[in-house]
Amino acid sequence: MTGLEPVVAQVTAIEASLLVFVVLTALVTALARDVLAAVIVFGAYSLGMAALYTFYRAPDVALTEAAISAGVTTVLLLLTLAKTTRIDHETVFEEVNLPAAGAAGFLFAGLALTMGDVPAVGSREAPVWSNPDVTQWYLTETYAQTGVENTVMAVLAAFRGFDTFGEAVVVFAAGIAALIVLHREVFA
Amino acid sequence: MSDARPNDRDDEPGGTGAVDGESGDNGTDEKPDDVPPHRAVARSGRLDSEQRQGTPYTESQVIMPTVKIVAPFAFTFGLFVTFHGSGSPGGGFQGGAIMAAVVFMIAFAFGIEATRDWLANTVVVALAVGGTLAFAAIGLIPVARGGAFLQYDLLPIPVKYGLESVEVFGIAAIVSGVLMGLFFLLANGFASDGSGFGDGGTGDDIDDIDDIDDTDESASTGSDPSPVTDGGER
Amino acid sequence: MSVVDTALVAGYTVGEFLLFAAAGFVVLAIGMLYRAVKGPTMQDRVLAVNVLGTNTVVILALLAAALSEPTFLDIALVYALLNFLMAIAISKFTVERGGVL
Repeated sequence: MTGLEPVVAQVTAIEASLLVFVVLTALVTALARDVLAAVIVFGAYSLGMAALYTFYRAPDVALTEAAISAGVTTVLLLLTLAKTTRIDHETVFEEVNLPAAGAAGFLFAGLALTMGDVPAVGSREAPVWSNPDVTQWYLTETYAQTGVENTVMAVLAAFRGFDTFGEAVVVFAAGIAALIVLHREVFA
Repeated sequence: MSDARPNDRDDEPGGTGAVDGESGDNGTDEKPDDVPPHRAVARSGRLDSEQRQGTPYTESQVIMPTVKIVAPFAFTFGLFVTFHGSGSPGGGFQGGAIMAAVVFMIAFAFGIEATRDWLANTVVVALAVGGTLAFAAIGLIPVARGGAFLQYDLLPIPVKYGLESVEVFGIAAIVSGVLMGLFFLLANGFASDGSGFGDGGTGDDIDDIDDIDDTDESASTGSDPSPVTDGGER
Repeated sequence: MSVVDTALVAGYTVGEFLLFAAAGFVVLAIGMLYRAVKGPTMQDRVLAVNVLGTNTVVILALLAAALSEPTFLDIALVYALLNFLMAIAISKFTVERGGVL
């Protein structure tokens, strides 16, 4: 966590451009008329999100985004699309549903009103960072208690191990649910 | 893809490579003139129809050798991310996803059906079920010794290796097994409309194929009860 | 005190310079997004998403260097390996709409 202040001091260029990229790809994914184009732009969205997570020093999240989004989601969506028929579209974008857009804008405005009270990104005064009982305790005690250097993995597998067991069972149950939905008895 | 390939290459008795030989097997003479060589039949009907299943898989001379080179490294990197999760970013979830992605890569290069034969259903199910059972067993051993669930210091191995074994034998196995299973499952499609390029191993949908093809060839997509098709028509 | 923190020109350190370079690559990615959205053919989109992936590998590598976190290069490696999978998946899908899978 060395050198956090200089990064905070000049977040502007890289952070702003990444955010513009992510918002643009998200909008195009939502509005694209052709489903294949939406899937492709969604892949591009994951590229931007992985870079953003990396910049915010969350490499585990970035690695998950990279592996799941680039490797798995795109492929599974394409396989599903291969089972459907194609409709030729005249226009590139969907027509915006004004009531839905209004509701989404209202929600966005409500969330944006709370942004003034959120601490700055990377601030050392943020409660999530400065809290001595949670974040700082894990950062200082993890290696002594588990012998593992990666705090994220230690929290996932040891301190919150029962939650992770639940998540693993959920993944397993998702596979079984897919079998049931598709009326199959075997995977392969 | 190979639309520009001249048709007369298939007429030569010798001197054609393995890929050309296979595209020649599809019978160039019967095909209409406007059909490119890599396509056995004209574009018509749904993908699932009997006609369109003529060439379910086309070899690519670019993709196959590249995957042969890339896949071992990608798989090794997936193993690295899984096993080295304690010292660097990563862990069982990410590593399992990368290893499953390597299987996707192989399936795209060598054909989904060939990969389905190579990677038996037993392996996929054993990974998913075995991972869940391994995670539960590692968690329950300390309970049997009078501790709490997943209390690593009661395991007979150091705490660090307890965490590692949960990541490797539990999470990585579950994630890679389920993702591979989802891939093969989605490649097969919905069972009761007889879709998919293979019989899917269940065998009970083979009898339905003749009935389904009649509706498919009339290009009536509206009457298809498949929920997958309904999503695509939106 | 690594080489990233040494001053280069006009008070800017090497790390800041690398971050600006990464921002420039993101701007290039936004430009490439036009091709991914507009098309007009699917081949254009496949090429665009491939270039975007390669661009992202460069961005991630620059970020790893600028933040002096060598382990962040793992993410760039994963993208380099899996971007290839995304490219062959989409390109094989565009032929016959998945018929050659």
